[in-house]
Amino acid sequence: MRGGHLSLILLPTLKCNADCAYCFEDKTAAHLTLERLSLLIEKVIDYLEQSGIGSLTIYWQGGEVMTLPPQWFEQAKQIIASAAKARNKIIRHSMQSNMVGYDRKWNPVLAEMFGNSVGSSVDFPNLHRKVLGGRVEDFNALWSRKVREAREAGIKVQVISIPNQETLAIGAERFYAYLVDELQISDFQVNTPFPGGELNDPLHGFLLATDRLSHFLIDLLEVWLERGYSQGVRIGPFDGLIDYFITGNGCLPCIWRENCAKEFVCIDALGNVSQCDCWVTSYPEFWFGNLFEADSLSELLRTSPARRRFQERPSVLIQQEDCLHCDYLALCHGGCPIRTYTVQGTLLAKDPYCQLYQSLFREVEGVAARLAGSRAVLR
Amino acid sequence: MDSIIYNIPASMVEAYRGQRVIVRCHDPRELMGRFADADLQNLAGLQLLSLNSATDELVNWGYAIPIDLILTQPATDFPLLYQHSGLLATHPVRASIPVMPGFGKAVRLALSLNFAVKLEITQPDQTLIEEMAEVLDFYLHHPTVSQPVEGFHSLLFAFYHNDPVMLWTIQEEDPAYFRHIGEHGEETLSGRFTDATATGDSGSFVETFQSELLADKSECVGCEFFPNCGGYFKWPRREYRCEGVKTLFSALRQAAEELRGDLAEVAASKGATPP
Repeated sequence: MRGGHLSLILLPTLKCNADCAYCFEDKTAAHLTLERLSLLIEKVIDYLEQSGIGSLTIYWQGGEVMTLPPQWFEQAKQIIASAAKARNKIIRHSMQSNMVGYDRKWNPVLAEMFGNSVGSSVDFPNLHRKVLGGRVEDFNALWSRKVREAREAGIKVQVISIPNQETLAIGAERFYAYLVDELQISDFQVNTPFPGGELNDPLHGFLLATDRLSHFLIDLLEVWLERGYSQGVRIGPFDGLIDYFITGNGCLPCIWRENCAKEFVCIDALGNVSQCDCWVTSYPEFWFGNLFEADSLSELLRTSPARRRFQERPSVLIQQEDCLHCDYLALCHGGCPIRTYTVQGTLLAKDPYCQLYQSLFREVEGVAARLAGSRAVLR
Repeated sequence: MDSIIYNIPASMVEAYRGQRVIVRCHDPRELMGRFADADLQNLAGLQLLSLNSATDELVNWGYAIPIDLILTQPATDFPLLYQHSGLLATHPVRASIPVMPGFGKAVRLALSLNFAVKLEITQPDQTLIEEMAEVLDFYLHHPTVSQPVEGFHSLLFAFYHNDPVMLWTIQEEDPAYFRHIGEHGEETLSGRFTDATATGDSGSFVETFQSELLADKSECVGCEFFPNCGGYFKWPRREYRCEGVKTLFSALRQAAEELRGDLAEVAASKGATPP
């Protein structure tokens, strides 16, 4: 077996047990049946074979995945493993959950299917996340209790955090102390917010001022270097960027790929195919098609006009934006389509966080040079 | 290098079976059906002459076959490079970029996509020398560059190792190693010499040309860069003046010296022998 890799963001359910004010997903009760999962995975493997792709990672997201029972995942694992073995493909799994529905019944699935690892999200301060019918004030306490229980069962919880206005106000030091010292999180990623979906009140002002967010991230980088870097704490995207500038390789977030359309595809519980979860849950006009109605995923992807718009985006940006003259073109190629679309109303513009990215790249480049110099002397 | 590599059109694959070949084609589908797996070991590379062609099927054809994307109008064609980045999943990919006004845009994008680059150089005027100097600085010093730009890259290491490898060989134009086969099977010299018919003594073409340059008392006589240049820039017009290209050679030699110095400094700080 040889060839590249595909990331499939799979949404087996659109149901959610949380009610986060900023969520852009159109939540419904729809979920994927196991019969349809079998059909879906056969069509995905057909596509891997036809494209010469040797391995697949399925990123299980929702909705909220833990609104499905663990037994569903146990059967899903068997179905996928059998299909992969029969056709000599490597398929790995990764789960993203809000952990609200977690209890020890999930432990066997998390151990056997997900390598005792799960991704989750927490914000500080929490302004928007809450359980259905619950209060914002209670969410972080519930979340930290569930995460503690998971850790006690040997499960590693990786975290995504999205800064808000209050995060910027309290500053990087307190943010870091809350996640690392108080919650004992040693591996997290900070993402930039964007106002996806229909406009609603919490999203006004959701796109943070680039200069303030930039200062926050650079402050956080300094706090991490001083307190966490040599202690094994990992913060994305800082650690991936440092690796990139030192070695030429680094695990960078999807917003900084040459073209996400070449590496990712997303399928929801109803079989709708789009670029990622943000697109499939909120923007039907950007669906590539429906897998259960199409003869094959290959044909669906090859003929989709919507997908072609994603594929062509970098080559348009390189002609109409200033990306070609950017020192960090190799890292970014115009950035994230969803962040661009939700702010600019078009795919054909560069990421609205361009200035922030450049500031961050420049800062990390300097850090990496210092670290590389130290390593060269020590080696 | 121990045998001649023939640069052939796709239509001549059968005629050159068993020989080391670089095959050029406008559409890779012209080629894919003509090669059996057993023949792929003699395929030294594939040159794609039209960047508008789809290359998706090539990703799954063979493995680690060097693919050369040929740009003819780099200042305007460069966005097409995006269409071919998927090839890197299975093959090494190079963009061959002619040095003409605006070529630097294609170099920047090719390097950002992790393609190697080969500059197709003729006899650059001062404006082009300045653009080449910018590209050289980008190659030497930009932290996101991780691929070679030829001929700069091999010259840099020639200076670093005091190796007399010549630009004729680096640029794949030495007739002792490379020949070009036309659409009708006619054999000519390579690169800039495709109008010149190959003869029995073509292998000594460079040697003969250099002897003539020295006998003519051209500026090559006593030139400090002659061991690595070998009169490369004196073709086709022997009266071409080399002041500009010498600045590029000087910059490369200086970079090699700096690299040697930096490595020696690190080695000294650890009490080791410099590399």
